[in-house]
Amino acid sequence: MEKACIDINELINVFSNTQGSIYQSDKLNCFYIDFGGKFARYNCLSLQKLKKVVENIDVEALLLNTTKADFELVTFNGCEHIYLLSALEIVALKELLQGTFTMFKLNYMVNDCLNRLVY
Amino acid sequence: MKDLMRIKCLISQDIETLLNQQIKKEAHSSSLYLSMSSWCDQNGYDFSADYFAKQSEEERVHQLKLFKYVLDMGGNAISPEVSGIKTDFAGFREVFEDALEAEIAITQSFKNIASKCHKEQDFVTMEFLNWFLKEQREEEYKARRALELFEVIGEEGTGRWEIDKHVNKITYSEQ
Repeated sequence: MEKACIDINELINVFSNTQGSIYQSDKLNCFYIDFGGKFARYNCLSLQKLKKVVENIDVEALLLNTTKADFELVTFNGCEHIYLLSALEIVALKELLQGTFTMFKLNYMVNDCLNRLVY
Repeated sequence: MKDLMRIKCLISQDIETLLNQQIKKEAHSSSLYLSMSSWCDQNGYDFSADYFAKQSEEERVHQLKLFKYVLDMGGNAISPEVSGIKTDFAGFREVFEDALEAEIAITQSFKNIASKCHKEQDFVTMEFLNWFLKEQREEEYKARRALELFEVIGEEGTGRWEIDKHVNKITYSEQ
């Protein structure tokens, strides 16, 4: 999906690093990953799946393996998007996703304290 | 900002992973008991074969109960791959020793999940786990009692035949 189609002002920046950002749309109940030149939409389940796929990539083994290029295809069944990432980009995407999920936990705690536990 | 992950799912990712691991362990136990049932049947221990077949069914029920819970809470329940099931046993006693060991491993695993639930204050899953913790009392008791028959009756002479006859009669009562 092209970035131009979406009103960026309606999105909430969940987490960013030097390589990209992850946004949340409260209106559409979905997430957008701006990374590696792509602006891709994900739902909760597919974002969790992407995190698992990225975390399971052994970057060290990728770098030490002299028989293949230091690139990895990142996708999963049912995912519309494919990333061809270098080892450094994988590290960056891993960091981006971990940071995002940490923000989700923080948001959960904040929601608990400010809304759910004060009725 | 909406808490989309929480809206979608009641349990955390860590708890979901642990429950999926437990689903796999229950599936493994079910297959192991079926394998024990097969070995007992082939070696003429009919009552024990029935006992282990029933145990296998129970483990399958446990697996499905966990599976349903993960799905009901909005999680991703994973149908497990089961491999490496032991099919040959050195003797009648070893079957029961392995059965007890398997139950101890399952109890430990549930304790581990319960500990994580306490840490996360996930009392909903904790309440769900209580049924399993109680069930493990019975499972371990039965497995231990069965093994004790080897000491009480002894394996000499018609001992194994007697043990086989008594295995199916082991029951657990809280009172």
